[in-house]
Amino acid sequence: MEKVFVTGTGVVSALGIDVESNVAQLRKGESGIGQAKHFSSKYTSTLPFGEVDLSNEELIRRTNCAHEKGVSRTALLAYLSVDEAIQQAGLTASELQSLSTGIISSTTVGGMCHTDELYTDANLKAEPSEYVRSYGLGEHTLRLIKKFEIGGFSSTINTACSSSANAVMLGARLIKSGRLKRVIVGGSDAMAKFAVNGFNSLMILSQHPCKPFDKERDGLTLGEGAGYLVLEAESVCENKLRLAEVTGYGNANDAFHPSTTSDEAFGPRYAMQRALDVSKMNPSEIDYINAHGTGTVNNDETELFAFHEIFRKIPPFNSTKSYTGHTLAASGAIESIYSIMAMNNGELYPNLRCTSPLDTFGVPQILEYTSGVNIRHFMSNSFGFGGNCTSLIFSKV
Amino acid sequence: MYITDLKSISPQKTYTDEFLKGELVAHEGIIFNVEEPDYMDLIPRGLLRRMGKAVRMGVGTGLPLIKNNSNIDGILMGTANGGLENCIDFLNQIVEYDEGMLTPTNFVQSTPNAIAGQLALMDQNRGYNTTYTNGGHAFENTLLDALLLFEEGNAEKLLIGGIEEISNYNYNIDFLADHYKEVAIGNFDLIDSLTSGSVCGEGSNMFIVEKNATEYYAKIHDVAQLTYPKESDIETCIDDILTKNSFTRSDIDTLMLGMNGDVDHNKWYNNVADRLFPTANTLVFKHLVGEYRTCTSFAVWMCSHVLNGETSFLDSIIKREIDRKKINKILIYNHFDEVNHSFILISN
Repeated sequence: MEKVFVTGTGVVSALGIDVESNVAQLRKGESGIGQAKHFSSKYTSTLPFGEVDLSNEELIRRTNCAHEKGVSRTALLAYLSVDEAIQQAGLTASELQSLSTGIISSTTVGGMCHTDELYTDANLKAEPSEYVRSYGLGEHTLRLIKKFEIGGFSSTINTACSSSANAVMLGARLIKSGRLKRVIVGGSDAMAKFAVNGFNSLMILSQHPCKPFDKERDGLTLGEGAGYLVLEAESVCENKLRLAEVTGYGNANDAFHPSTTSDEAFGPRYAMQRALDVSKMNPSEIDYINAHGTGTVNNDETELFAFHEIFRKIPPFNSTKSYTGHTLAASGAIESIYSIMAMNNGELYPNLRCTSPLDTFGVPQILEYTSGVNIRHFMSNSFGFGGNCTSLIFSKV
Repeated sequence: MYITDLKSISPQKTYTDEFLKGELVAHEGIIFNVEEPDYMDLIPRGLLRRMGKAVRMGVGTGLPLIKNNSNIDGILMGTANGGLENCIDFLNQIVEYDEGMLTPTNFVQSTPNAIAGQLALMDQNRGYNTTYTNGGHAFENTLLDALLLFEEGNAEKLLIGGIEEISNYNYNIDFLADHYKEVAIGNFDLIDSLTSGSVCGEGSNMFIVEKNATEYYAKIHDVAQLTYPKESDIETCIDDILTKNSFTRSDIDTLMLGMNGDVDHNKWYNNVADRLFPTANTLVFKHLVGEYRTCTSFAVWMCSHVLNGETSFLDSIIKREIDRKKINKILIYNHFDEVNHSFILISN
């Protein structure tokens, strides 16, 4: 069976608009969370956000798409990130156009980030807006297919906050099965009144930048961004730089509640265990975990319990959501890319604002920047509403 | 993989057995709503009240299948829009109450993965669980994923389905985007309509699929899809899916076509029916249930019954009759808005 390698990565987040600038901020331990400048919502005056510091106009300029009509911010963020990933992997036009090259994207809000236009269109309040064909969750994927002329299989996933982790998982499985040689996988979500008001109605947004795995944590911070990886079959990427191997993936449902995780953390545990089973690894071989770590009371407590159940001796872990906020569908891909960089640089980035770490099972939280670390394999967790849990394992090449 | 059980809520009386006895529901207009059951035996009243239509239809079709089939290894759903009514209700509150304090019910019910999540919860199913939202390929993605899971040896039995609800909102949005006809049409006149646009349909069609089975409704061999294809890509893709599954064109005795009454869309279907498969029966289905992005799930539901020997409704779906006694190997060909094209190979 084909091995699956990561040959390209692209990230747009509150930390910056390419992988390099994101990693520079992670190294400095500098958060991208603050007051939103471009997002229009009454909550911008009271809540912090992890906003990408580019206006839509600037995003349109940078992605050269002024000639396209109604490109949603979600699609614009995806354009920027996919472009970076394709460039890094050095995919040629003919490789992209091949039937054996696919794209699997994900989003939770899609074009609904243009809430006010959607309101007028859905209620027939005025002439159709330019976004009238852009709201659907699959629309940004169609845009990506057109812009980058991707020839093969396509999919769009929405399993809430585990969406792009499932995109990575499906992509790897399609390569292993022989159906694809190359696939671009990831997700994008733009700041949306829809998400902000939704999470706010559930009373899980913190008034302050989130503090994952801290005893005093009181909720999550919403962010936005896009993350995409180019996955290639070993047989077609032998001569290029391979950033990591996708060695494990596991998907499970917690089957407990639409928006909270069970005390027993069934979903997280099963997802992690299945990922370990696929990778044929012992828990002790995992040297670092990028946790889901939203900063809600419920997530961090149950995730930590799941770590204990699976690992006993919990490896160093952090939540990079303390830098970017929760980027929803994009988070699994973005955090996998951060972790690939950490693995290849042999470094661990501190979990920010964790001043009184949860210590139920010791304190494995990464509290300061550390270099010279040998990370052979890491795990990245993504858990979402609807009980959707997915864990990924990547290995050093 | 084999379809061993199935359930449908559609604009026809498919939930009970009237449709299979030949009773057809006539629809007139641009919107074909489902014939919804009352769910009272199935879903507790308090829970039902909080469910949006997509979740309600999803649970209505999925729960009986869960109850009749034990040891389901995973749940895979396809829905382009999920609970859009709840979604826009929530959005309307955001705008009209100027982002005031809102109740979360609409928000939680509106996420497309709420259907697969709710079914997992009701079945206490901690297996593989996913939701595809890929527009006109959302249901096809569940078929491919199921085939993969069986191939990988990670499942024996799965619940899969396609769900779409009509809300005023998605109707309005798709109407503004020119998907629908401007004047009302009777459903039995739809297929031969000479105007552009289609009619808006909805439904929830779910299946128990198994890796191995001795008794079954139909066998799904494979699924293929194309996005923004050129005309010549269609032929290549069809030959490819046939060859991969050891079929030739002449093995296909019947085509199930996604003709939706949009005169501008027919050329794709006519090309396949007249040029590639001139001696195959052709069947159609969208005059019964309308157009929606996951309606190939209804095509699979109907093919399963036809392949299992049901003939009661055949008169209403057969468009080109070559030999109605010979319907054994069907190629379902559908496209949504000329963008998402798909091919499903299904036999008895």
